[in-house]
Order: sequence, then C-alpha cells, then structure tokens
Amino acid sequence: MAGLVLKGIGKSFGPVEVLRGIDLDVADGEFVVFVGPSGCGKSTLLRVIAGLEEVTSGTILIDGQDVTTERAAERGLAMVFQSYALYPHMSVYRNIAFALENMRLPPAEIEARVRRAATMLRLTDYLDRKPGALSGGQRQRVAIGRAVVRDPKIFLFDEPLSNLDAELRVATRKELAGLHAEIGGTMIYVTHDQVEAMTLANRIVVLNKGRIEQVGTPLELYNRPANLFVAGFIGSPRMNFIRGQVTPEGRLVTPDGKVTLPLPAGHAPGAEITLGIRPEHVLPAGGEAPDAILTVDLVEKLGSEAYLYGTLADGTALTLRSPLEDPARRGDSLPIRFERQRLHLFDAAGLAIRP
Amino acid sequence: MSQTGSPPRAIPRDSLASRLIQGIAGLADRPMAWIQHAVGGRGMAYVFLGPNILFFGLFVFLPIGINMAMSLTGGTNLFLSERPFIGGDHYRSLMQCGSYLDPASCREDHFWKGVSNTLKFTLFQMVAMVGTALVTALVLNRKIRGRGFFRAVYFFPVLLSPVVVALIWKWILQRDGLLNGAITLAGGEKILFFVEPGWAMFWAVFVSVWAHMGFYTLILLAGLQAIPADLYEAAEMDGTKPMRVLTRITLPLLWPNLVVVLVLVLIKAVQTFDEVFVLTGGGPGTATLMVVQYIYETAFANQVQNFGLAAAASMLLGSVLFALTMLQLWIARRKAA
Ligand SMILES: Nc1ncnc2c1ncn2[C@@H]1O[C@H](COP(=O)(O)OP(=O)(O)O)[C@@H](O)[C@H]1O
Ligand SMILES: [Mg+2]
Repeated sequence: MAGLVLKGIGKSFGPVEVLRGIDLDVADGEFVVFVGPSGCGKSTLLRVIAGLEEVTSGTILIDGQDVTTERAAERGLAMVFQSYALYPHMSVYRNIAFALENMRLPPAEIEARVRRAATMLRLTDYLDRKPGALSGGQRQRVAIGRAVVRDPKIFLFDEPLSNLDAELRVATRKELAGLHAEIGGTMIYVTHDQVEAMTLANRIVVLNKGRIEQVGTPLELYNRPANLFVAGFIGSPRMNFIRGQVTPEGRLVTPDGKVTLPLPAGHAPGAEITLGIRPEHVLPAGGEAPDAILTVDLVEKLGSEAYLYGTLADGTALTLRSPLEDPARRGDSLPIRFERQRLHLFDAAGLAIRP
Repeated sequence: MSQTGSPPRAIPRDSLASRLIQGIAGLADRPMAWIQHAVGGRGMAYVFLGPNILFFGLFVFLPIGINMAMSLTGGTNLFLSERPFIGGDHYRSLMQCGSYLDPASCREDHFWKGVSNTLKFTLFQMVAMVGTALVTALVLNRKIRGRGFFRAVYFFPVLLSPVVVALIWKWILQRDGLLNGAITLAGGEKILFFVEPGWAMFWAVFVSVWAHMGFYTLILLAGLQAIPADLYEAAEMDGTKPMRVLTRITLPLLWPNLVVVLVLVLIKAVQTFDEVFVLTGGGPGTATLMVVQYIYETAFANQVQNFGLAAAASMLLGSVLFALTMLQLWIARRKAA
C-alpha cells in the first residue's frame, strides 16, 4: 500500500499532446477513479503511472519516492488490463503464481498465496484450467487474482468491466468494492462509465482532453460540479443546460426572449449565464406557478420512474425525471418548476458561479 | 451465366471492355449448359476438378507408378517393356550391409554414405536454420531502426535460384576466392575449403541456411507478431526478467510455428541436392554426397545407367518424405483443431 503523487505530468506521442499538467495526490488506501470520455487520456495516464509509458514532463512519486524513471517492473504496482492479458498457455494457477515466481518466493508461500486469492475470488475449482476454458467473468477474476497475490503498492485497473455483460458488470462492481473494503489497497481505476465511477470511488478524477477538470468525492462532483464539462458528464440522464442573459430584473432570458427563468439574486444584468438543472430536480408544477412549459416529445417508462424528453418554448431540449409511473403523454404541454436550491450556474467561460 | 454475374466494378457496365469480357465469357455458356445437362449438377464438380486431376496424374502419380515399376525391373534399358522383372533385388542390394553404421561395409556404399551425410546435414541444418531464423525473427520483431529494410534483406536470398546461390558462394569460397583473398590480406594462410571434408560440410550447411533462412524467419516473425502486445506488458508489470519473458512467454506461444518450421526444414533438408551439388559436387570424395545426388548419379551420370537401382533408392527416400509429410499434416491439423 502506498500513496501516489503526480506533479505536472505531461505526455506527448510525437506532436500529439495527450496529457497536460496533471497534478494529483492519491492517499494511501484510497480508491480513485479516473473518468472521462473515450480518448481523453485515461489509459495513457494509468500507463504512465504503471511505467508502461514514459512521461514527457513531470514527476511521479510513490510512497514519497521519485519513480519517474523507474521501469514498470521496478515500481511494484499491479495492473488489471481491459483485455485481461492472461497468459493463454498457462493454467489459472500458473497465471496467478507467475509474478510470485518472478519474485523467487518460496514455493510453499506461493502456493499459500495463490490458494488464498483463489478462495477469495471463487476460482478454486478452476485452478487447473487454461484461460481459454473460462467465461469472461472468470477470466476477469483471474486477472484480479493475479494482481491481488502480489500485494502490490498500488492496484491499477483499466476499464476492467467493459468486456462483461451488463448483469455481470454490476455484480463484479460490487465485488471490487468488497475487495477494496477487504484488502484496503490503494486503487486507481479507469472507466468511461460515470455510474461505475460514482459507485466505486472515494474520489473521482474527471479528465477531459488530457487535463483534469475536477477532483472530488462522488457527491461533490454531483452537487458542486466545477464547470460545464463535469456538470454534463456526471449524472445520468445528463444535466439540462439553458443558455441566456441576465435581465435588468435579475431573471434569465433566452436569446430569442421566449423563455424567462428565475435566478438567485446577485447577477450583473447583461451577463451571459448558463443555467444547469438535473432532470431529477425538474418537477411538474402541480398547483404552483410554473417556471416554464415543457412540450413533451418522448416518454420513457422504466416502471419505477419515467423520463420525459421535451423542449421549452425557445427550442432548448430538457429532460425531466418523474417518480410517477406514467406522468405524461407525447405532445402534452407540461407546466414545470425548477428546484431553487438545485440550480447550477455557469459563467460565459463555463466555470461554476459559486454564491 | 454471363447475365447473372455483374462485371467487376472498375469496368463500367456498358464499356467496350465490359462487353468484350461478357462476350468471351459468354462463349462458355452453351458448352457448359450442355455439359451440366449431361452430367448433372453434382457431376460438374468433377468436370472442374478433372483438368487438375489429369495434370497430377500425368506428372505425379504416373511417374511414381513408372518409378515403382522401374525399381522392380532390371537391365539398363529405359523402356519398361524391354526390362526384365527382378522383384525386390534392387531393394535387397541397397539394404545389403555388413553394419548399417558403417557405409563402407555396404554393397551400395555410396547410397549409405549419402544417407549418413544427409542425416548429418539435416541435423546440423535444422539446428542452425531454426536457431538463426529464430534469433533473426526475434531481433526483427523489435522496434529497431530500418526494420523493414532488414526484413527485405534477409528475405532476398530466398528469391535467388539455388544454383545462383551456390555459384556465388563458390566464388567466395574457392581457392582464390573472396574469402581466401581476405584471409591472405589479413596475413593468414589460405584454407582449401572444398578439400577439407569438415569445411565442405560446414559450408554446405552454411550456404543452405543463408539461402533459406529468410523464409523461415518470415514464418516465425508472423508467429511473433500474433502474440498480443499486452501479454508483454502484463509480464513487465509482473516484474519478469527478459530471459524469462523469452522462455516462459515468447517461446511457448511461438511453439506451434516453431514446430511447423522444424518439420518444413526437415523435409527440405532430406531432399537437398542442387545447392550442395553445385557448391561441392559431393566432395571432397564423398564427404558431402547426399542421397539425392546418389540417385541422380546412379541413374544418369554413371557409366552404367542403373535406372532400377536409382528408382529403388527414390522409393525409399520417397517413403521417408511421405512419412514426414504425414507428420506435418498431422501437426497442422492438430493446430487448427
Ligand atoms: N501509443 C500511442 N501513440 C499515439 N497516440 C496514442 C497512443 N496511445 C494513445 N494515443 C492517443 O492518446 C489519446 C488518449 O488515449 P487513451 O489514453 O487510450 O484514451 P482513453 O483511455 O481515455 O480512451 C487518444 O487520442 C489516442 O489516440
Ligand atoms: Mg482507455
């Protein structure tokens, strides 16, 4: 177990700058998730930490030690690959034992460790099989077992669940959370799936185009996104955004003037503002005075709840999550209200405006 | 028929070329329809296979049959009808040996010398060929500068005719050749490579490895590139030393390709003739005489042309090759399964 410090990490492949100025502190025992859209540099950052890629600039400290120039083999980290990267010609047992044999541990110790990991990961019955004779979920557990036995300083996971079907993904997600609770190692986990990030992480690092957009606990990111990107990325369905200008009366008006919305006090008239509101914080107005009228274009009924997709008078798309089973019909004009405490405001540069 | 298949996309439908192709292809329509009518749909398969089978029969199976008949008949006449049947006499004289370990004790001492030389040659060549091809493939598989250039360079000799290869090396190795020139320049004594039996065998192996290595390197290189890169990254994360990566990951995963190469090298080595014959003429003495050269000389080059004996030796060599080919097919099938 160990902490990790990244200072000003930059990485370019030839002329292409993939990572820029990454600063990050990961505490000992923490479960940190890197999340971001595909191609934003998550894997590259993880591989830089692993030592599989050299940095172009910056410093990497593990347990306070500068390991920037150390090879992957010397850093004492374990990685679970998206493809699992199991050795196809070795049995499950040999796959798990391989790193321990490299360390020249005594055979009895190796055996004990492999058996313990196999028990924990329910692989005991499959130790003699080759990876080719395992299901996706079992292979996944072998890959995790291979990391666990080594008792690494840090666990690195690169989208480990992306090759599993939806059901298995949820089950394995829970197992991973259980694993972290049980062995308590420092874990760094890459995913493009914000639900995985929200459910697993102690802290989430949101990456976009090679930069860190925000670092925070799942609830911090949900409740106080630092900018438009994070606001849009975290949460499902994604947050609604309405762009407009502050009127002299302190309200928000859309460019075509068709929609006016209430704003908290204190915004300079004329300022360009984007108002964000999550679908779960848009309510049918009921008897109260509506903030706007939503023309319903599509209703998704999920049983426990329903999503309404519609447009406001100015054409802005807006999603509403209703706890009702069957709240409206396509074509309905639904008066809606925004929960006042749940409004997110962003300035012209896309940064959150904090009261 | 021509109506159903549309012409290739590159050729506009109504162009002259398109009409020409359709017109020519159309010539086959009537006869084909007629044949199909005559033999039925299933029979058409044999109609299409026919020419090829005829070709094989004429140039492969018929000669094997004639060879078989030759080996069972005596005399020096080339025409089977003029040759008396003698049964297994040729085979008996080929197998007549005081000790199979000593070619000189055999009635057909050159045949057994050839067998012994071919075995030696095959063994050395397999080790040298697979060894160098493997090392070359491993090196060419790394991200080195000019990788494409080197791949081409190592493959180039494969394209040369064996006779050309042998002649080139003969110029280099002969008494006043390039190599001896270099040795004298460096102040050394000339070495008569084709007079020393050991040297002659060494160069026979060396030249054939030089000439064919590129082909086997290519097979091994393909095998190496089929190994997923992330296995090497996993091994790196597992703290694996380079030598262990080679022995525990690369070689086991390359094993199927290595076996294919081993068997192919074996089959080719047993048939070796042209390169070594042009390079050393089988000499000095019989030091590099191979089985195939014995067969050739017995049948065509000796004063008395003993076609029957040569045919019998061919049959023996053929059965060894047949067994090896079966082995190769079996391995290939097992790999595919
Ligand atoms: N070895 C490489 N050479 C060149 N470009 C690369 C290489 N690896 C990744 N990239 C580029 O870096 C960017 C980030 O890739 P990656 O870290 O894999 O993204 P993510 O894992 O977030 O989807 C991508 O645009 C990708 O094309
Ligand atoms: Mg990735």
